[in-house]
Amino acid sequence: MTAWPRPFAVIALACAAFLPWMLRVAPAAAAAKSLGVVYADGRQTEDVPLAKLDKDSDELYVSAYDLARVFKATKFWNPDNRKLVLRIGNHRYMLTLDTRVVVVDETPVLLRMNVRFDEGSIMIPLEFIEGVLAPRSVEKITLDRSRLLLSIGSPEYNVTGIEIVDDRDGTRALLTLTDELLYHIDSDTPGILRLKIYGGRLDPLKYTFPEAKGLLNRVRAEQVEQDAYLFFDVKKTVQRYRVEFEGEGAAAPGKKAPRKLVLFLERGKLPEIPGADFAGKKMVEMLDEGAKRKMIEPVRKIAIDPGHGGTDNGRMGPSGVKEKDVNLAMALMLRDRLREELGVDVVMTRTDDVLVPLDERVQEANTAGAQLFISIHCNGWFTNDAEGFEVFFLAPARTEEEAQLGRDENASVAYERQGGSEESGGDIDFILWDMVQNEYLNESSDLAEMVQREMSASLGIRNRGVKQTGLRVLKGLKMPGVLIETAFISNPKEERLLLSPEFRERFIESAIEAIRKFQDRYPGKG
Amino acid sequence: MIRTKVGRSLAIALAVLAVAVVALYLVPRLRTKGPVEVQRVSEEMRAVTIFFGNKSADGFASETREVPAAPGFEDQVKLVLAELIKGSRDSDKISAMPDSTELLQVFWVEDTQTLVLDFNNAFTANHPGGSAAEYYTISNIIKTVSANFPQVARIQFLIGGNQVESIAGHYAVDKPIDVKKWR
Repeated sequence: MTAWPRPFAVIALACAAFLPWMLRVAPAAAAAKSLGVVYADGRQTEDVPLAKLDKDSDELYVSAYDLARVFKATKFWNPDNRKLVLRIGNHRYMLTLDTRVVVVDETPVLLRMNVRFDEGSIMIPLEFIEGVLAPRSVEKITLDRSRLLLSIGSPEYNVTGIEIVDDRDGTRALLTLTDELLYHIDSDTPGILRLKIYGGRLDPLKYTFPEAKGLLNRVRAEQVEQDAYLFFDVKKTVQRYRVEFEGEGAAAPGKKAPRKLVLFLERGKLPEIPGADFAGKKMVEMLDEGAKRKMIEPVRKIAIDPGHGGTDNGRMGPSGVKEKDVNLAMALMLRDRLREELGVDVVMTRTDDVLVPLDERVQEANTAGAQLFISIHCNGWFTNDAEGFEVFFLAPARTEEEAQLGRDENASVAYERQGGSEESGGDIDFILWDMVQNEYLNESSDLAEMVQREMSASLGIRNRGVKQTGLRVLKGLKMPGVLIETAFISNPKEERLLLSPEFRERFIESAIEAIRKFQDRYPGKG
Repeated sequence: MIRTKVGRSLAIALAVLAVAVVALYLVPRLRTKGPVEVQRVSEEMRAVTIFFGNKSADGFASETREVPAAPGFEDQVKLVLAELIKGSRDSDKISAMPDSTELLQVFWVEDTQTLVLDFNNAFTANHPGGSAAEYYTISNIIKTVSANFPQVARIQFLIGGNQVESIAGHYAVDKPIDVKKWR
């Protein structure tokens, strides 16, 4: 009788001894908080788990694994002396488990809380980021405790400020840019002026003005991939607008000085038009823009370049359609219709299934004296998901500094080859051509925007926008030029479209319409 | 009979107690000895960022990975780009590396800050084509290199040791590409 309870008591005792250990795991897991991390280096924003480990303190801990990842640290763990070394930037941080000491390079620093070990991870209090890392970092590190938000690095903005001035003549919006960037403005949406700054980087929050000032109702900004957009919602009394760099052409060459890009809105003399009439009203852009709208030759001859050919099939569609064939078929169709409808000459870089080197295509267009160059391609991607059309124009050296660098580089290449090579002349020409294409930058971007607008309205597929890149076939052109990626041949749906006569017809019509608008905008001398 | 019954019960109880004591002693020690995942690592690890294209080819997506810290700069570049070539487990992240791509050699030209990347023939021969595909093939490499190795100013592509005009016919890669100018 007396013997029975004893073993039970012992078992119960043993279980009781386990209980606190078994329960200990639960509270830590319950505190599920996370730290939002925002990077300036292009990494995606992420959420990093945080843990509250001490019931007497609100301090939150982040695992050493996550911390090392976030700060791109090199980490080294020594299990024998329980020390963790993190190398971040030029500093070395040595942390020891269950102590408050962090040795930074050679100097010890004290934390308020211990570095802990929990559930298989070394846990570091957030105060380490604020108090130890941030003051020593080259990159700007800010930890917002109330929102649990960590931001690392500050993006380099090149659109740095806006000022709005209103006087008797009208309203001016002055944008400060760190260098002279290419821009494009349109008023396609009545009442809204859309200013696109190629390669512009800005903080959209700084450019949002919800209240009216002068002739502006509102201003809003967006950062879309590599380009910046500003939307000016203007009053009905605006008659005309103009955009230009203040003191155009005044900057000393090779010197990088902040420039002011000015949007000028001219006050109209007429009374305000009633709201109903405003829809559909387009503002007139002032044409006295000096350097920007230079006189170029009227478009009488157009070079059309069907991409790839011969041994180069370009991209193959899922059902075996070859890009080179689609490009050629559409280019020939465009040639005939341009001759018919616009009465222009057309020169083709290829009319058969042959491979023409990229340089020769450019040379052909140049020697033929064409005033426009249009390259036709189909796009391709690694999966069949991507879709839509896009329009490219050339991104040459963007600033005078970069242009000079390019000249130096090219000159040294030319110099090196001067001795033996027969082709050294070609290299020198190539440098000059690069510079020439620089001159047609504005016209090329205008043409690209016009093509995009027409195709967006009629192709019925996704508009991927106008992009500025270093496409080889546009280098060295002595005329405005664009490359059109009509659709993704790697996408089964769009592959079928590319073969359909209706889609091709819509493509041709919108291309012709865009060229017609380009001709209107650049009527040329005489 | 009763004695043996009691004896057995006592033995069981003692055994349970012994296990409990051993467990109580050992478990916390095992737990505080060190993180299992970190402990396994006997070498220095480096956290690196790898850039991919997204599924619809209209933006980038990044991933952080851990690679062993290599003794030399060129070896480190090789380890990092091997992660890009390996690709992502996430099917929405596209490495844009053609099938069977291998990075054969890496050279660093200190005085011009040029990184030379020599790929195998598959890099061009197996490229599916299309300007978007070619753009991301080049961009993923450039972005991955410049995010992890800020000292690199230029990248020169080679295929089997030779310069080529282009990878898929749209972008020139015959000369070194300025990583800051690339867009």
